[in-house]
Amino acid sequence: MIPRLFFKIVNLELRKGMSYRVDFWVNAIVSFFAAMGVMYFLWDSIFTASAQGRIGGYTLEEMILYYVLVILIAKLVRGPNQMVGIADDIYKGSLTKYQLFPTPYLVFKYAEHLGSLLPAIIQLVIFGILSPLIFKFPDAMTITPITILTCINVVMLANLLFFALSLPLQLVAFWADNVWSLIVMNHFISGLLGGAMLPLELFPDWAVSLLAYTPFAYLYHFPVRILTGHIGHQQLWMGIGVMSCWILLLAACSWLIWKAGNKRYTGVGI
Amino acid sequence: MLLAHLEGGEQEIYRGGNLMVRYIMLYLYFLRFSFSRAMEFRLDFFFRIVMDTVYYAVHIIFFGVIYRHTAMVGGWDFDQMLIFICGFFLVDAIHMTVHANNMWMLPEHVNTGNLDYYLIRPVSSLFFLSHRDFAANSFVNLIIAASMLTWAFLRYPGEFSTGQILVFLLLLVNGAYLYWIIHMCFVIPVFWTHSAHGFQMLFYSLKQFAERPDPIFRGMLRRGLTTILPFLLIASFPARTLFEGFNAGILLHAGGVSLLLTLFLLWFWNRALRSYSSASS
Repeated sequence: MIPRLFFKIVNLELRKGMSYRVDFWVNAIVSFFAAMGVMYFLWDSIFTASAQGRIGGYTLEEMILYYVLVILIAKLVRGPNQMVGIADDIYKGSLTKYQLFPTPYLVFKYAEHLGSLLPAIIQLVIFGILSPLIFKFPDAMTITPITILTCINVVMLANLLFFALSLPLQLVAFWADNVWSLIVMNHFISGLLGGAMLPLELFPDWAVSLLAYTPFAYLYHFPVRILTGHIGHQQLWMGIGVMSCWILLLAACSWLIWKAGNKRYTGVGI
Repeated sequence: MLLAHLEGGEQEIYRGGNLMVRYIMLYLYFLRFSFSRAMEFRLDFFFRIVMDTVYYAVHIIFFGVIYRHTAMVGGWDFDQMLIFICGFFLVDAIHMTVHANNMWMLPEHVNTGNLDYYLIRPVSSLFFLSHRDFAANSFVNLIIAASMLTWAFLRYPGEFSTGQILVFLLLLVNGAYLYWIIHMCFVIPVFWTHSAHGFQMLFYSLKQFAERPDPIFRGMLRRGLTTILPFLLIASFPARTLFEGFNAGILLHAGGVSLLLTLFLLWFWNRALRSYSSASS
């Protein structure tokens, strides 16, 4: 696939993402402040009740910073929709039309997925600027230009990892009528084990060690910890290595499922 | 054949002179169709059960991890939190079974003009559109959620009187009713916005407030969440009647808010229908 075509698809999806502007802004503002409000009051009450200065290595201010970053970064990693486009194409038979396109279907879908990230990028910039004015962050901030640059690269890899994770689940649509439940299940599990609901340091030590070998720990928690300067060089390269291995493994799985599914695909749809 | 069966069914419904009997019979038809449709998609049926079970597990693990670091959250210990969260699962399962599919489909009916077919029926359009699709696959989860709540009660070290449990269950049913009203209020704007899902994504964002115990919230936010958007009345207030003893104030508050929201919903629905143009987009 030529890069020009790839970026054309990205561009089309960018414009689509900005339609329904009222919905977009209302959803963006309320969903961010609702998520932050719930987490702020929960952790404020926990810190007050426990009378500890630190929980799982975090002060209250560090915990709030963690949640602001994880909410914004998770939007970049997951994308705005629940990624059921591929399953829909298979179920409705519209996969057929893509076979006429001058580009591999899955690359086309990834380009679409990348293009749909524009709203998340806008939210990241706006709420990233506003948050320090609203919430109390740690006095000594550890975010530097280097951690920001490293984080951007890791977020791109995490985005690809999330796409690779949801791909085999979507391809189950060759056999099942509706795989929406599988995608939502992935959303729940990756949210908990990826650190979107809780910083992973709060889990028992055995669970933290185990999670380091799963793809989940690298989706949200890893990029946030890189951004806040808590990941050393060795951990960074090890993390990137684990992410790459999972992406390759999941891509191989998806390829096998794709081959087997294509043999069953009739193109009839519903 | 199906049409003849349906027409026969409608005649039976008309014959029921009592309005309540007519609605109950109609609902029994909805149930019959929903179960037979669910059996056509068996793998999806199974996936939905696993998905909701994962949802329950994720929330219990979430609080399990938090309680590793603190003894109390909002003044409640882990056993109390478990009863609260299982109470919420039950409300959520009722909503998923009875209403959620209908809420999801309503924007499509409005945007495609299919709503016309529902408006000409000789029953309340609000009732018909909110209850037509009973999610038979989520019904299994309703049983699982009820079992989990029973388990949370059985492992609770203290004791509750029968009266306390009955008031708790009554308030949970009221919570499920409030949950539907709030959700509906976020879907109805689709009559004006014509977007794909109305403001449902907002509803799902705000519903997080219902998943946390109410004592953690303070100030204006707390006032808003117990009156205008009463997410805290859904499962948290019912749980408080168990842990703090019978409180007539909570019952009156929940009843009053439910009544006012019902009136608001009826007004909002009628306003929306008046602005419905029947044109598809």
